[in-house]
Amino acid sequence: MKRSFAIGFILAEFFASAGISIAADAPPAAAASGPAKLAQASDNLPMVPPAKPGVFTAQKRDDSRFHLVVAGHKFTTRSDIEKYLAYRAAELTMEQKASWFTLAESRANGDTAPMPKRDPAGLRYSFRMDYFRPVWRYKTSSSSAWKTWSPFAGAAFISDDAKSITDFEVSADIVLHKGQMDDADPLAFEAGAVSDLLINQVSPPE
Amino acid sequence: MAPKTRLMVCTVVVVLTGGTALPVAASSWTRGYVVGTYQYAFRYGGRPDFTRGAEIEPGVDCPHGSTTNFANPDQTRIALARQKWRSKQEIDWIVAPPGLDQVRDPGFTRLLIWDRAISYRGYKPGIETYVNPWAADDPGQPEVTSRIAEGFNLDGKINPTDFVSPDGEKGIDNALYRAGGCYASWRARDLTNAFSAALHQRYLEGGLYTMVIRISGNQDPMNDSDATMEIGYSPDKIVKDARGGIAVDYSYRILKSAQYTKLKAKIKNGVVETEQVEHLHTPRIARYYHQTGDTNLTKGKIRLNIVPNGLSGTGLIGGYRNWRDLYVENSFPSPRGAGFADIQLHEDHIALYYALRRKADGMLNPKTGQYDGISTAYRITLSSAYVVDADKSVKIPLQSDFYPPELWRRKAFESLKANIIKGIEARIPQAVPPGILEAGYPQLEQKFPVGLPGKDFFLKTLDRPHYPDGVGRDDDGNPIDDQGERIDSRGDKLDEEGDPLKPPQARQQVSNGAPATATMAQEQ
Repeated sequence: MKRSFAIGFILAEFFASAGISIAADAPPAAAASGPAKLAQASDNLPMVPPAKPGVFTAQKRDDSRFHLVVAGHKFTTRSDIEKYLAYRAAELTMEQKASWFTLAESRANGDTAPMPKRDPAGLRYSFRMDYFRPVWRYKTSSSSAWKTWSPFAGAAFISDDAKSITDFEVSADIVLHKGQMDDADPLAFEAGAVSDLLINQVSPPE
Repeated sequence: MAPKTRLMVCTVVVVLTGGTALPVAASSWTRGYVVGTYQYAFRYGGRPDFTRGAEIEPGVDCPHGSTTNFANPDQTRIALARQKWRSKQEIDWIVAPPGLDQVRDPGFTRLLIWDRAISYRGYKPGIETYVNPWAADDPGQPEVTSRIAEGFNLDGKINPTDFVSPDGEKGIDNALYRAGGCYASWRARDLTNAFSAALHQRYLEGGLYTMVIRISGNQDPMNDSDATMEIGYSPDKIVKDARGGIAVDYSYRILKSAQYTKLKAKIKNGVVETEQVEHLHTPRIARYYHQTGDTNLTKGKIRLNIVPNGLSGTGLIGGYRNWRDLYVENSFPSPRGAGFADIQLHEDHIALYYALRRKADGMLNPKTGQYDGISTAYRITLSSAYVVDADKSVKIPLQSDFYPPELWRRKAFESLKANIIKGIEARIPQAVPPGILEAGYPQLEQKFPVGLPGKDFFLKTLDRPHYPDGVGRDDDGNPIDDQGERIDSRGDKLDEEGDPLKPPQARQQVSNGAPATATMAQEQ
């Protein structure tokens, strides 16, 4: 196996310029649009627009634990809003001179979503955005009462018509850490890496 | 030395020593070595006879064995499914290109398609991933889990994440091994399995660069409390013996260049231990000319074990390396581009990027509060040689003196490195500089089998670098148009040999008469 692997590489590397024969079948039509545009370099540093008052709040619960909330009235997508919360969590971590944070999941009795487990022998990550799972509460135009949605309850994401949402709050508890991150913890997030990934993607909700 | 001068020196010595009796007369000595093997100090912990499905050689270092990125369609699907902007059909077609079995070389065709696809894994289409690794999701990297590693205690501390040396020394800093030690191409008991290590060795022995060491002192070569070690680049290629080994006692010049360092050392029973210097400059481990240069280890040091007869030795070179430099040098090991190598070697350098930055453990940047360096160790073997000073006029030769395409390739690589580091620091996606054969461009355009159903899909849908005509380069540095076809300075297409595809046509001439020649040529 190894030998064929190595030979294959050498062949590919040193003889890749050799011609490849051409089959006779006619190709089908292209299935999608043309090539994407080249990413353009720019000297303008990325900057996330400042949030309006009340959109983001961070409550310090103890020396290293914070309760974060992103609130708004105009629901866009779950992904956009949760990414903004993750970005603010990363920024807060760095502002506090820490380097990584862990998400303290808000689980309740009866939750069905499996707990992510450590796997020291498996892959290690700087972040796993799939495990950044904040909880939601929201109001719709038909009711002044808050409704909640938890990613751990096993229910599908908000079933109400998105256009009917008049208020929403997305919240997460995080614990800040210094030093080298515990990359075997699936709920650990390296703040710098998260910020780098998200800075060009997020903006505060309205 | 003239008798008078000798008398003066003797007087000076007596004065300096306060008239006390001197020890046994010291004799100056010098030993030289040429480095015969040079590789990362990764400690293999697996069993070479063991395979289990897609897992390769599980061991105490890597419980699940070596990395298996892109080793099969399932692995490639996992990598592509991370981009939410890809459709299921697109992923299906990339993973298993329709009609692939109808082309003559399905393996190579699939490789080119995969190369193009995995080179664009950013948070949105159009961001070349290997140039902008920070803009992609972290694919995850297996890390070395064992506690034993070669290297040095660079920070003088014993931290919980540090290794223990094979000799029992605690506090060993070799975070690069932790981050990349499960890569198949570096992980093996010997060079026969470790493909990248073997290839690097081949190029070292083939003369891509030569590293030499000279040790001198005034006591005994095996025990000297005040010795000096010099390490540097030699312009002389390694000389092999009749059995393929490194020939002993040949002469090599040492250049006191950017890749040279002089260190104080102590020798005890043949173990040479240098001081730790702020910057340790040595030739850099390399496989291609564009990778060669100065290692520039921060807080670097060297330890050698010399055999009693002085003919050979082993050793370690260690220190902190800038992890961004390491990412660039390791991600683009061949002119074919990063994705091509990742598929062939079953590695994912996006995962390495994240592993390097989170395992960084040295060179604290006061501005950012982050570590810029990662502890590193290289393993070397030595063969006895005469190491002599070079004439001052000798400089590190340019490979382009012998093979011109290397010059533009090196320039392209330096542009690439600048773009990558700029992107990481500014968090602005950067373009692929021309001359870097990323995403299978222009290979896919030039070699794609026309008979493959779905050819247009792959060529028109998948992202790739684009350049104005004449700006892009092919494998040999020739100007190409955006479709990957070789062109001349006027934009006319050329064949692979550089000859015009169409016979030159007569051009309109300025004359008072009728343009008969031009007209005839056009009518033909």
